[in-house]
Amino acid sequence: MKVKLFGMLKTMIPDGKDLEVAFSEGDQVKDLVHTIRREYPQVGELLEKKKVLVSVNQEIVHWDTVLNTADEVALLPPFAGGSGDVEAQQKGQSDGC
Amino acid sequence: MAVELEESMLVRVQLENFSIDEELHRVRSRSRRIGGVAMFLGTARDRSKGRDVSSMSFDHYEGMAQKKLKEIREQALRDFAIIEALVLHRYGPIEIGENIVLIIVGAEHRADAFKACQWCIDELKKITPIWKMETTPEGEVWVEEHP
Repeated sequence: MKVKLFGMLKTMIPDGKDLEVAFSEGDQVKDLVHTIRREYPQVGELLEKKKVLVSVNQEIVHWDTVLNTADEVALLPPFAGGSGDVEAQQKGQSDGC
Repeated sequence: MAVELEESMLVRVQLENFSIDEELHRVRSRSRRIGGVAMFLGTARDRSKGRDVSSMSFDHYEGMAQKKLKEIREQALRDFAIIEALVLHRYGPIEIGENIVLIIVGAEHRADAFKACQWCIDELKKITPIWKMETTPEGEVWVEEHP
């Protein structure tokens, strides 16, 4: 199964491309995470710490979600859209937006 | 069909820069009942977390990013007393000083427009799969706004 990577995750994989992960019909997301952890320990660690979320068909899912062959799976690091860090600004820790 | 096309222009993730005047006109032309417009424009700054930044680039999840912006617009229209909302974000390389993100909200009254505009940008940062990479003297750094 192909697993899409974004942002910093691309820099953690040697060629920076999407992952090809072994998968059996009926596997759950946690099975996929287990395989990723074995083959790509750095990425697996971020998944286990919940710093990276899993999406299936463009929706963030729980680890007990059952996967199907046709599913579009992606690993999503923390988002950083917009410009400036509102929470940090409110605490006076940022340079402003 | 024309209505769908018009609505798709109100939620966009795009590579190219945008004209604030054109986008403002797009929102204002949706209704003559609009009496107040609030806008948030996010631009690329040359300093971040104590480091100089010479340029930046945004990665996005094609399809999901658009879907989330659409959800933000639709929820803003449901939850606030507003008439129209536009949500637009760029991706790809962006030079310092350039536009990154634009929210424009039209309402009958300013208070509702301000509230909805603030909510839209906060929500965008929380739920939209977009990632920023900054070029600094130490190299390229992926930014985690919500670790």
